[in-house]
Amino acid sequence: MEGQKGDNPLGQQAESLAGKMQEVRAEISKAIVGQGEVVDGVLIALLAGGHVLLEGAPGLGKTMLVRTLAQAVALKYSRIQFTPDLMPADVIGTGVVQENGEGRKSLGFQPGPIFTNLLLADEINRATPKTQSALLEAMQEKQVTVAHTSHQLEEPFFVMATQNPLEMEGTYPLPEAQLDRFLFKLRVPFPGREDLHDILDRTTQGSTKVVISVIDGPEIMEMRRVVRTVPVAPHVQEYVVKLVLATHPEGRENLLANKYIRYGSSPRGAQTLILGGKVRALLDGRFNVSMEDIRALLLPALRHRIILNFEAQADGRTTDDLLNEIAGKISQI
Amino acid sequence: MAARGKIKLVAPVAVPGPALFSVLKNVWNKNFGWSLKQPYTSRASHGPDFGDQSWPPELDSLMDPLVVTRRRILTNIFLRGWMKVGTWILAGLIVAGALSPKLAWAVISAGTLVAVGSVAVVILAWRARPTAYEAACRLDSAAVLHDRISTAVHLGAVENPDGMILRQRQDAVTRLAAVRPRALFPVQFPPAARRALVLAAAAAGLFVYRIHYKPPVLALLRTTARSQLVQSILSPIVHAMEKDLQRTMTLIKSNPDSPPDKVRPGQAATTDDLWKASEDQGSNPENGQQDSQEANAGDQMQDQSPSGMQGAQGEAKPSDSEQQEGGDSQSQQSSNGTDRMGGDTQQQSETPNSENSRQSLSKSLMQALKNMLSNSQSQEGNNQANQKQPNSQGMPQSGNSRQPGSGEADKKGDSRGASDAQQKATQNSSSGAGSQQGSKELKKNQRALSVNAVPDRVALESNGFKEQTRMRMDSGAGVARLPVRDVSPQAVAVTNGAEQENIPARYRWYVQHYFEHPENGQK
Repeated sequence: MEGQKGDNPLGQQAESLAGKMQEVRAEISKAIVGQGEVVDGVLIALLAGGHVLLEGAPGLGKTMLVRTLAQAVALKYSRIQFTPDLMPADVIGTGVVQENGEGRKSLGFQPGPIFTNLLLADEINRATPKTQSALLEAMQEKQVTVAHTSHQLEEPFFVMATQNPLEMEGTYPLPEAQLDRFLFKLRVPFPGREDLHDILDRTTQGSTKVVISVIDGPEIMEMRRVVRTVPVAPHVQEYVVKLVLATHPEGRENLLANKYIRYGSSPRGAQTLILGGKVRALLDGRFNVSMEDIRALLLPALRHRIILNFEAQADGRTTDDLLNEIAGKISQI
Repeated sequence: MAARGKIKLVAPVAVPGPALFSVLKNVWNKNFGWSLKQPYTSRASHGPDFGDQSWPPELDSLMDPLVVTRRRILTNIFLRGWMKVGTWILAGLIVAGALSPKLAWAVISAGTLVAVGSVAVVILAWRARPTAYEAACRLDSAAVLHDRISTAVHLGAVENPDGMILRQRQDAVTRLAAVRPRALFPVQFPPAARRALVLAAAAAGLFVYRIHYKPPVLALLRTTARSQLVQSILSPIVHAMEKDLQRTMTLIKSNPDSPPDKVRPGQAATTDDLWKASEDQGSNPENGQQDSQEANAGDQMQDQSPSGMQGAQGEAKPSDSEQQEGGDSQSQQSSNGTDRMGGDTQQQSETPNSENSRQSLSKSLMQALKNMLSNSQSQEGNNQANQKQPNSQGMPQSGNSRQPGSGEADKKGDSRGASDAQQKATQNSSSGAGSQQGSKELKKNQRALSVNAVPDRVALESNGFKEQTRMRMDSGAGVARLPVRDVSPQAVAVTNGAEQENIPARYRWYVQHYFEHPENGQK
């Protein structure tokens, strides 16, 4: 058995992945206190090849988390502060007149800040829908098209957007197509008492910890390849399918969805659950996806893919409540 | 959001039919159903069955725990199925032992059912046996192995597995080494075992009882049928049925539309013969008894008619009833003088010779009094109608002492009363004054009497009034005041019909008389 284990490079990579991610987690924890679930969600999305939408009140460390992650994984990092007057060209780049060595002028492409590995789209809901849509192609196809010319983005390309749920004035809610392109929507909670003490100790004293890079881009890409080889049992996949179908009000037996949900999850939701489950299994030291992985990722993977109807809003129901109820009913079947 | 939180839209609580049906179906299947499938099978139905498949060598160590798990699950399925079958057989045996007089047949049928049930349970349990994949799912759930075993079993069919699958199998085997399936899946009696034990004890006790005694249910039924309570309950029903039969027979015999040529033999067809026949019948005590019974039957029928309500009302109004009694006595005497109906009860009371006629005298008197009381209201209307007709013709009011054959209606009534002797009781009850009226007039009078049954005070529904508020308006010369809302509720006693006292007396009198005499009111 040990001989087989030693002759198995994929198995070794899978085991090393968990160790590497543990190191990244430790580096992030130098700057970020607590927020374990948010950090895990960000790492899972990074290895699954998706993007993350962070939602939380100001001052909870969203921007700090993204910056620390960029340092820990040694990736190119850029930040765009989204404002109402931001234009798409400010994000993806534009054509400018360039002069070569011979003095001849030509129209050349000047890449925007999107050409990076780790993009922080701060307060993304403050930009107009036109500017928000500039991210659509980049997030899904990992390329940008300007003046009939497509420009490939460098892998890994990872977008982390933040939005403030409190200040709704002067904001433009993200369109459904944009929301669906985020792998997870993570809610950043307010830190607890112990964490708050720790934050005060770290930030109000002179000493600052330096974050070291423990992993680079190619390693992340290799990890993404390993992640996709994790097997999934049929009943686990069936559970995912049932979950996604249960969010659709068209189903005859989906009483809860019929009552409160206007639009259910897209197939991307099911893909997210399976891919995220694979990463979570590897981070947990397993080599198969379990039902617990799916249940743990249910809320961040599906909460932004479901649109509630007026009745749900009038009854004060949230997507998290409904998803938990749906999962509870499906597990009993 | 705060405003949104205040809005509470009450969604219609609708229990959809399919959902309710599925709930009932689940309850039935849980308690009485024959399905022996485990709940997890729906979850694991996509998994392959590796019963006949050769396993990869690295999964050999998975086989033993899985085989143990499958056997335990199968055993529990078999026990659960047998317990259900046994419960039904025991219940049937108890019913048969309690009802069937032959105990041997019940025992033989129970034995046959046990044999058939055993075979059926074995077949059903074998068909519901878990596959290796399903057993692995159960094992994963019971041992909290995070679907390691089921994934390894599922991937057991993969040829040339990659490194990840091999690593997963190693992980599953390593984790399963610490699991003891026998402890996780004990052979346990199902919850229905207690119920089956109770039924078995009851069946044994019943059979011991049956060795010496008869079926207890039959004995209980006989004892109950003989008991006074049941007889006291049943006897009025039997009597009522007998009376109904008698009434039906009477109605059949006394068909008023029967042609005159259907007169029974012994009855006179002409008026002179009718006198003789009545005298003969009056002198014959047997005929007198028969007539009194028929009169009783006619009275009972009349009690069911709407005019029976008038009798009760007549008791509440003594002055009216006295007047009506006077009128009735006169009219009955006149009718005896004019109609000469052979079976009249008052004529029978005037034959004091035989003992039978004495006994029937008291009965017939009582019946006559009852008839008078009950018919008082109906006869009042008839009297008034009869009194108006002579007045219009300029004749003096002589009650109902009209000459037979003076009018067409009287002719009809006289001829009918003479021809059909058995109709006398009905005619007495319907027109005790002796004025024989046609069937149409009878129906009209009955309709008017049923209208008269409405009490003069009708209790109103006070709920709506009780919750209503009154607007009190105060006005004076040169003073304008706003309406004052009087929130004090109106008293219940006031709203229960007492406010009808505010109706002017003349209007009330008019309304009462309008309903009592609709024809007059129309005029």
